[in-house]
Amino acid sequence: MQEGSNAFDRRRFLDALLTVGFVSTAVAMAYPVARFLVPPASGEPPIDTVVAGRAGALRPNSAAIFKFGAAPGIVVRTADGDLRAFSAVCTHLDCTVQFKADTSELWCACHNGMYDLGGNVVSGPPPRGLQKFTVNLRGEGDDAEIVVTRT
Amino acid sequence: MKVIDWVDERLDLSGVRHFVADKGVPVHAQKIWYYLGGMTLCLFGVQVLTGILLLLYYRPSATEAYESVQFIVTQVQFGWLIRNLHSWSANLLIGLAFAHFFSVFFLKSYRKPRELTWVSGILLLFLMLGFGFSGYLLPWNELAFFATKVGTGIAGAVPLVGRFALRLLRGGDDVTGATLSRFYGLHVAVLPAITTALVALHLLFVQRQGMSVPIGVERKLKPGEHLPQMPFFPNYVLRDVLAWYVVIAVLAALAAFYPWELGTKADPFAPVPAGIRPEWYFLAMFHTLKLVPSHVLGIEGEHLGVVAFGLAAMFLVLVPFLDRRASRGEPSRLFTLVAALGLLYLVSFTIIGHYAK
Amino acid sequence: MLMSDASSAAQRGSRSSVAAGPVLARLCVLVVLLVSTHPLYAQSPPAANGCVACHSTQADSRLATPAALFTEPDVHRESGFACVDCHGGSASSSDVARAHAPAEGFKGKPAGQTVVATCARCHSDANVMRRYAPKQRVDQATEYAASVHGQQLAKGDLKVATCSSCHNAHGIRRISDAKSPVFPTNVANTCATCHTDEKRMAGYTLPGGGALPTHQLADYQKSVHYAALTKGNDPSAPTCNDCHGNHGAAPPGVGAVTNVCGTCHAVFAQKFAASVHQPIFDKGCVECHGNHAVVKPSDQMLSAAAGGACAACHTAGDASDKGTAAAVAMRTGIERLKSGIDDSGALLRRIKNAGIEVSDEQLALREAGTKLTLARTEIHGFEVGRVEAILADGMKVVEAVARAGQDGVAELRFRRRGLAVSLGAILIFVVALGLKIRQIDRRDRTRRASL
Repeated sequence: MQEGSNAFDRRRFLDALLTVGFVSTAVAMAYPVARFLVPPASGEPPIDTVVAGRAGALRPNSAAIFKFGAAPGIVVRTADGDLRAFSAVCTHLDCTVQFKADTSELWCACHNGMYDLGGNVVSGPPPRGLQKFTVNLRGEGDDAEIVVTRT
Repeated sequence: MKVIDWVDERLDLSGVRHFVADKGVPVHAQKIWYYLGGMTLCLFGVQVLTGILLLLYYRPSATEAYESVQFIVTQVQFGWLIRNLHSWSANLLIGLAFAHFFSVFFLKSYRKPRELTWVSGILLLFLMLGFGFSGYLLPWNELAFFATKVGTGIAGAVPLVGRFALRLLRGGDDVTGATLSRFYGLHVAVLPAITTALVALHLLFVQRQGMSVPIGVERKLKPGEHLPQMPFFPNYVLRDVLAWYVVIAVLAALAAFYPWELGTKADPFAPVPAGIRPEWYFLAMFHTLKLVPSHVLGIEGEHLGVVAFGLAAMFLVLVPFLDRRASRGEPSRLFTLVAALGLLYLVSFTIIGHYAK
Repeated sequence: MLMSDASSAAQRGSRSSVAAGPVLARLCVLVVLLVSTHPLYAQSPPAANGCVACHSTQADSRLATPAALFTEPDVHRESGFACVDCHGGSASSSDVARAHAPAEGFKGKPAGQTVVATCARCHSDANVMRRYAPKQRVDQATEYAASVHGQQLAKGDLKVATCSSCHNAHGIRRISDAKSPVFPTNVANTCATCHTDEKRMAGYTLPGGGALPTHQLADYQKSVHYAALTKGNDPSAPTCNDCHGNHGAAPPGVGAVTNVCGTCHAVFAQKFAASVHQPIFDKGCVECHGNHAVVKPSDQMLSAAAGGACAACHTAGDASDKGTAAAVAMRTGIERLKSGIDDSGALLRRIKNAGIEVSDEQLALREAGTKLTLARTEIHGFEVGRVEAILADGMKVVEAVARAGQDGVAELRFRRRGLAVSLGAILIFVVALGLKIRQIDRRDRTRRASL
């Protein structure tokens, strides 16, 4: 059979291959597990609660659209500094509403539907008011998170 | 080896060392079947690991379950991989468990002195089916919801205790969020606890008694002759590990090329989708019950079917005690026939059930 | 007084027969008691119940029903009004003749113009109405006079509706009461009691000529307005009075239809008013959308082929017909955007099912849906250029979403490739392990052989 040194080299090579193979498969298994354990950026499933932004980014008498699951929401800061949040889906034909600063109303560009800052229909074709959400602040000052919850 | 010496100094591993050094595994033509049990155990380990990982993100409520699985698969890093592994491993695990069961059945390894190993094994098989049934509902999608409805409905067909059993399983009269909570508790706590105990027992028995040798091979031995032995460590262990890696490779391939879908979220008030049926491991039983006529000699067909399956399960548990010839070490053609018929029935009815309308 | 009559009678009687005196006295007392308590001769209790008490016992339903209705929820009775406040007469008298005396102001059953006058006596007087319902209008009678009903009544036609035809005369409920005949969901049926009656409507004609139809209610019940009002829980959806007027009811008239529809559908009316069709269409919106059977519009209407709304004036396939060309251009653009949205939506759903996060893309796709709605609005200006500009914006969104969808598909392929690589690593290890096992076996064999 083979010379002793050849067999020994082959064994050394095999052992090395085995070690490399074992380590690489172990890493291939451990790496996804390790990444899995790290919390993802989005925090938690957007079923009932979502972070709509930072408190400091919203000036009085302005609004911002945010994502609630696969549908848009709108968070409004009234002239008095109050925070309100609604679904931005117009109840007429599902267009996205926007904030009109001059009249302080929520307006749907599609057919001129108007909602007041309580979400109630003021004029136009929408049959119902906008779905209202609950707004809370998490944290202090300008960096506080605006947390919107489906009621 | 230094670590082992460190432990040995404190806990005296000499008993273990001798056991491992002396332990051998018989070598013969049928030894390939020895590996099935270990492969099943490997997959069970995969299930426990991936299950625990999924537990960190899954939410067991009707309003959140589907969304949490969606979150795992879309947002969590490698969540899609862990979820796919868990779903595929479940199916492979049950398949291997059945393979292991049939190999033991055919080779008569259940005969004296290994009756208790067989009993614990059969119970483990039923537990695996329970894991499959309870886990299937957890993603709360349309298919799972209706399959559970049908399955728990069948439980209700058991005579006398059926109604009670149905309410116990469903957590009420219908499949609701209460059912989800119950199945979740079963799947992550109750079944794992019982399984751990039974697996420990099963392994203890196997280690104590060593591997069984088929009757035919035993009888060919001349008096005083022994079968060649393979050292348990490292020869058999390395082969075992090889088998496990092959299983994992198959698992990875399945997860890569046939990823598991999310499905649509369950709507209890939607109509039952056409052609609803349970997962493949329940198909044979399901299709059999469908074929039983609605009334046989005045008894409701479904009751008869369920009772028949119950009797079959009891028979299976008692096989080692019923097979006299095998316990004497004699060939037992009758039980081989029973095993063959059982295998034929399961395979054919699973295939028929799959293609039936 | 009665008793003293009886006792003096008894005393007179006692001179002739001492034994009969007390008995006779008791008999007289009994007779007087019986007579005085009989309803026919009893003193009637004061105020409203006088009329109701007598009328409710009448066999003739024409007399009994109004009394019964007046005791049900009735806004006038609840405000303290009585029968005599509209009908005159005296409620305190038990005698029919005196209760119904003209001298007491008894008017009997008002008919025709008298009904309007009776109601208007209070309802057109702001000083009276301010005491009971300060916000209520007081010009209903004036409006009524300008309506078709009012004008016909002035000509002596007693078949037309007056105040009581719609509001009832007795058992009048507030208009906010769901059982009132003029509650928004009930208005159509109230108008229909006359307007679906062929015999009653015979002889009347439309302003532009032709017999007055009686299928308006059936048509209206096919409309989106009816569906919104009855099933959509939208009380602002129009019923008969919203387009025809309340008390001043009449068909809107040529040139006014667009304004009427435009009170709610303002954006469409604005665009239409600036369009080429405005001076051409007599009936405005009604030309394409109908007047009563206003069904949910579909993109199929935008076509000069058979079944399309444009086909009424434009010829399909006519190269010189600018209207047909415009219809074709607008319709093709809309169908393209629609199918783009559908395809992108289907792609997103597919990869979402496979496990890719697509909520950002789904949110973006809504913008394309908004553009589609805006394009369908813009059609009413009948200017192809403007419609195509909006559709182009929509297609940009669809294309961006489709690209993101393709990224999702690529991510799925990347995952698969990653797993294939791991598979490769596992297989290498498996092969190496197999070789190792063989090596160990060989070593064991040589060792055993050398023993």
